[in-house]
Amino acid sequence: MTRRILFNLFAWSIVLAVAFPLFWMVVTSIKPQFELFRRPPTILPETVTFEHYWRLLKETNFLIYFRNSVVLSVATTVTVVSIATLGAYSLVRFRYRGRESLAFLVLFTYLLPSVVLIIPLYLMLVTLGLANSILSLVIAYTTFALPYALWLLRSFMAGIPEDLESAALVDGASRLGAFWDVILPQLLPGIISTALFTFILSWNEYLFALVLINSDSARPLTTGVMNMLVSSFNIEWSLLMAASVMMSVPLIIVFAFLQSYLTRGFGAGGVKG
Amino acid sequence: MSRPNTATPLERRYAMLGVILIAPTILVFCAVIVYPLFSAIYLSLFQIFTPTLQGSFVGLENYQRLFQRSEFWISLRNTLVWTIGTLTLQILLGVAMALVLHQNLWFRSLARSLILFPYFVSTVVAVLVWRWLFNDLYGILNHLMISVGLIDWPLDFLGSSPNAMISVILVGAWKYFPFVVIAVLARLQTIPEPLYEAAKIDGAGPIARFFDITLPQLREVLVVIILLRAIWDFKEFDLIFLLTGGGPLITTQTLPLLVYKEAFALNQMGMASAYAVVMMAIMLVFMVVYVLKTRNKDESR
Repeated sequence: MTRRILFNLFAWSIVLAVAFPLFWMVVTSIKPQFELFRRPPTILPETVTFEHYWRLLKETNFLIYFRNSVVLSVATTVTVVSIATLGAYSLVRFRYRGRESLAFLVLFTYLLPSVVLIIPLYLMLVTLGLANSILSLVIAYTTFALPYALWLLRSFMAGIPEDLESAALVDGASRLGAFWDVILPQLLPGIISTALFTFILSWNEYLFALVLINSDSARPLTTGVMNMLVSSFNIEWSLLMAASVMMSVPLIIVFAFLQSYLTRGFGAGGVKG
Repeated sequence: MSRPNTATPLERRYAMLGVILIAPTILVFCAVIVYPLFSAIYLSLFQIFTPTLQGSFVGLENYQRLFQRSEFWISLRNTLVWTIGTLTLQILLGVAMALVLHQNLWFRSLARSLILFPYFVSTVVAVLVWRWLFNDLYGILNHLMISVGLIDWPLDFLGSSPNAMISVILVGAWKYFPFVVIAVLARLQTIPEPLYEAAKIDGAGPIARFFDITLPQLREVLVVIILLRAIWDFKEFDLIFLLTGGGPLITTQTLPLLVYKEAFALNQMGMASAYAVVMMAIMLVFMVVYVLKTRNKDESR
């Protein structure tokens, strides 16, 4: 029994050490400015204040960035997941020449570094006159999100038994009818998982946003919040920590309610042993 | 998988449908990945001034100059130091943490969520938090280390030479080790329990059981994790760029940062493309090994 208690204490002290930076982020965001510079620092805030959140929403462009990030991530997710669902269905359940090679081209592109693609993409989007718009980021984000979503959905699709589809076909359903009525409901957990991953990837992306966007009206949260750090005369850490917390809100929601979908995605994401 | 060549009309119609369903994917792939990829190789043969996009053909001259520049070799060395350093920590921490979480722990699912969070949190958030922790005047890390007696004066975590690289490697390990935890944990759950019971009967202690049963069972998945993480760490941009910007001087400047700097700060797109192509060539080794490994697994399934 004592051994169990000791083990638990040991394990939990590591877990808490790993989680400490995130705890500190929340604590800093609700401390009044003067308490930040207290020595020794107070671990729990003596006075709790939400003034930084209030200022963030009222005096900065945070809400614009937030809206841009939502639009951008939703648009990327919807586009990528729809294309990838059809693509994965085709790759797993149809036979035609070049199918196998295509599947491995997908895997290959999923490993490509963004910095290789970013220069030609930048030139392309400038030539098309799309630079500095949310649309340009949606296009750029498909470069990493589509291979990722395809690979994930392909392995979810492979896990659906073929008999169900065959049975529907024998009963006279068309191929697309069977896809709609039989495959899609079965694939739904996989689609949710993939959509969550795609959303988080887009929400967190920084490099493309840095290169392609230089106006506040189209800037997403990542570069927007980083600009608040770089451009401020004296850094207001409480404000930045409040921004960090707010920026993590979608993630916290996913973690609270949909975490099993995230862990399921891990297994499918090419690390199967 | 072998099938007769006499495809029925229905099969042919199905093949047709299959091609139509994959068509959007192929179109998008060609437009945003395949074309830019070849374009990058083509651009690397030019000298291009970014603001005007005016360029002239210089052939392989960019590559010739690149290998003569000490900046390239320093960046390559930094990339290797960063990748090997952070990857080693991720694997050690990740396997250890997975073993701990595999045990019967109080509030295990809460512990797992807390461990998982750094991996999913935005790099921007992670960097802001760590820069605040690292702060030389009011940062909690310096305060803790001084009060424990580890150091006498506040450390400059990100602004002085070996410190910056060490800090970046540590933050990288913190951010990415949860990936290893989850992947290893999933594999641990599939190791058959009788293996351990048999070893116990044979008198093997916990350490012997780890080396004789757990580690051999994990070998396969660890190889895949290491390949995947090596590729991802090698190309990491956000974390290093936002923590140090490659500084002080260029002591933490890795190849992706060099490409970015050359293209968008020094405005030499051709040269930057050449750096990017060389970087990809180095990564290609790992990428090919990973793809081949996955392919073999796929076929034996």
